[in-house]
Amino acid sequence: MDVAQVKECGRRVPAARAATYFPGVLRSAALSLLWLVSLPLASCTGGGQDDSERPLILGYSAELQTLNPLISTDQNANDVIYHLLYTPLVVYDSTYSVRPWLAESWELGEREVVFKLREDVRWQDGEPLTAHDVKFTFDLATDPSVGSPLGAVYLADVSEAEVMDDHRIRFRFASQLSQPLESFFWPPVPRHVLEGVPPEELSRHAFGRSPVGSGPYRLVRWQAGEQLVFEANPDFAPSLGGPPRIPRVLYRIVPERTTLLAEFLRGDVDVYGTLGPTETGRVEEAPGVRLIAFPWRMFTYVGWNTRREPFERAEARRAMAMAIDRQELLTAVLGGRGSPAVGPIPPWHPYAPELAPLPYAPDSAVAILERLGWRDTDGDGFRERDGQRLKFTLLTVASSPVLSDVAQIVQAQLARVGVQVEPQLLEWQTVLSQHRARDFDAVLTNWVLDNFRVDPRPLFHGSQAATEGSANRSSYASAVADSLMDLGVTLTDETEARRVWARFTRVLQRDQPITFLFWNDELAGVRDGLEDVRMDARGELVTLPRWRWGSADGGKPR
Amino acid sequence: MASGGCALIRFALRRLLQAVPILVGIVTLIFLLLHLAPGDAATAYFNPNVSPEIIDRMRENLGLDRPIHEQYFRWLRAFFTGDFGYSFGQHRPVSAVLADALPNTLVLSGVSLVLIFVVGCAVGAVQAVRQYSKLDNVLTFTSLFVYSMPGFWLGLMLILAFSSPALPDALRLPISGVTSIGYEFMGPLGKLLDRARHLVLPSVALGIASAAGVARYMRGSMLEVIGQDYIRTARAKGLPERQVILKHALRNALVPIVSLLGLYVPLLFGGSVVIEVVFSWPGMGRALYNAILGRDYPVVMAASFFFGVLVLAANLVVDLLYAAVDPRIRRA
Repeated sequence: MDVAQVKECGRRVPAARAATYFPGVLRSAALSLLWLVSLPLASCTGGGQDDSERPLILGYSAELQTLNPLISTDQNANDVIYHLLYTPLVVYDSTYSVRPWLAESWELGEREVVFKLREDVRWQDGEPLTAHDVKFTFDLATDPSVGSPLGAVYLADVSEAEVMDDHRIRFRFASQLSQPLESFFWPPVPRHVLEGVPPEELSRHAFGRSPVGSGPYRLVRWQAGEQLVFEANPDFAPSLGGPPRIPRVLYRIVPERTTLLAEFLRGDVDVYGTLGPTETGRVEEAPGVRLIAFPWRMFTYVGWNTRREPFERAEARRAMAMAIDRQELLTAVLGGRGSPAVGPIPPWHPYAPELAPLPYAPDSAVAILERLGWRDTDGDGFRERDGQRLKFTLLTVASSPVLSDVAQIVQAQLARVGVQVEPQLLEWQTVLSQHRARDFDAVLTNWVLDNFRVDPRPLFHGSQAATEGSANRSSYASAVADSLMDLGVTLTDETEARRVWARFTRVLQRDQPITFLFWNDELAGVRDGLEDVRMDARGELVTLPRWRWGSADGGKPR
Repeated sequence: MASGGCALIRFALRRLLQAVPILVGIVTLIFLLLHLAPGDAATAYFNPNVSPEIIDRMRENLGLDRPIHEQYFRWLRAFFTGDFGYSFGQHRPVSAVLADALPNTLVLSGVSLVLIFVVGCAVGAVQAVRQYSKLDNVLTFTSLFVYSMPGFWLGLMLILAFSSPALPDALRLPISGVTSIGYEFMGPLGKLLDRARHLVLPSVALGIASAAGVARYMRGSMLEVIGQDYIRTARAKGLPERQVILKHALRNALVPIVSLLGLYVPLLFGGSVVIEVVFSWPGMGRALYNAILGRDYPVVMAASFFFGVLVLAANLVVDLLYAAVDPRIRRA
């Protein structure tokens, strides 16, 4: 049918007569849709409820994987595991020092520690929590067939656990440790629930989705992809503060950030966790909500492949580092929310060395490059040596707006000293796999510390340089750095340890296996009316059991 | 008639048999593509501080250390005996993941499909009946505009529009999830309405572009029918215009539209991957998206398989419907 024919057909229709029917049909359809849409909600959130009963709604964009502490590796899940669902043996206070939790006290001996456990802590199914549960968890965490990150992160230097009685347990250390108590920031799992499960089956066990915890909240429902519903544990140990103040917490999953931000601003979500730096403006302007920025355990860095030209020489890496203006990056990308990074110990850590980062000194960078023979001989703005242009690929993660912005700024900054950078933005898994395989020139990425123990060996120890899949992906090997790290992790004297770590940081600064850019602040949006909220590098939810709704209306925007 | 029924059944059986190699081809291709992508579940879900030996051990636990053909045949064998395996990312059986996600996707796509055809046909028919009127021109412009908008962008715009503080509370439709907070305390009618309200925006975002496409087809098809002699005959014998349009013209105009169903079902499932993420709809599209990012092979395989089955089933239904509504095809 061509157009002319359609026109011809159309003329034969008595349009006025025919047209009377359809608009009627359409109108009634539209009206019924409008009726459906405008029906008031049968049960509104928040408004009109007694504040003591008002639920707290957390909004996150990432799905949780599992709530089994033995196998969990994701940060958001660990925040829930450590602060809401379970009770670790020890926890950190707001100065990041260890304080008693499930263990009410300890005796630290030569290469061993004896914990005395609280007697009023119970599993959420009513069973008492004893030293047997702790020993059971230790055994699983250190069993290689479980593949538990707890064993790798906390227990690598703990050789043995021995139950002394129901509420006392002794751990022996394989070597002398600088911060021995930091090995026990993990929560036990219930032996009576998991006993008999083959270790290699643990990651598949239903426990991860319907956990029996011992913490201030218990999980009542997990609607995959939608929300997790937590209720206050009425029997939570009085010696640990008793039941939390807010009786019901909904942990909602909203994968698309734009949607999550809209939900937060319109009042359907009370806390917007892990807010992105580009979203701060809208939160700051909006009424009834506030922005919280707090130091976090994550640093952003450029890793150099020390096996590839021109990064084989520390001098060349140092030149790059001095040509990167960290302050400009911080201001432009993070709106100043973060701090320049000097080394792998965060600035708020008790062991942080008092060292200034390598200065932004493009002139010195130019001088080094000239000395190494890199000169702009053809006047195109980029340096050459033996006919080869000084250029490299900077690999980074496409889905991270912060990293892709940083990559572009670094590209511009290095161009000023005659270095050509080609940012390559790829999907995260691809970046990770190339990084691990040492198949990169330079990589721009983040590193998150699991805890507050100072142990940079996985990242920098020479023994890891050639190990495939290890975290020392720059293949850095320095005898001086190795011996300082090996010494540092055994020093129990704080002043001495701080001195060794400062020396180590200076070595890193000289060698620049990776160039530390900044420690990112973490951001969260919080609804007004929610009181006693404190977030810090321990986690967003660390003080949640003490949060409460104030007497004022929760600031639900109209 | 009896022989016609028989032919229809033979036709259906032949199509069903043809579907088997297609499905095997789909899963094989996806399996290979997934394994060609860098990284695997053991690296995706493990803390970089965990030593490489432990990651290797996990890879062994998950069976990822075996040669790819062995992994493929193990998976295929298990899959066709009904064992879909475990999700590496969600730490639970894939069957449980599907049981949660599949109904949500079917509801969303089903509602969108109805929306596509009801709205598309109604708009197209109205345009044809009122050809060259102001209404026709406005609807033509609108449908072309909507047709050329990407679904995710439309979704985000709907979200922004419907969360505007200027809107009265009653008009602020939910922008994420399938149910409201406090759903469990609602009565049966309240629950139904709550679910319906949650469906409005995602189904509109998912279906509106296709509805605009259908409207264009419907307008053309209806115009062709209205020009036919039998419509003039119907009018000539004094039938009321209402009956002429709704009974004689509309029915015949719908026949070619049926074949569009087969085209739009795959589009719907493809679109659901994006729309489910935008609207936090806990369906298969989102499960598939997360699984691909996390190299969660068992979920990707099962989800693609079911999408494949649904698309093939929709095509089969279209062919059968076509045969049912058009006797010429049945006889052929």
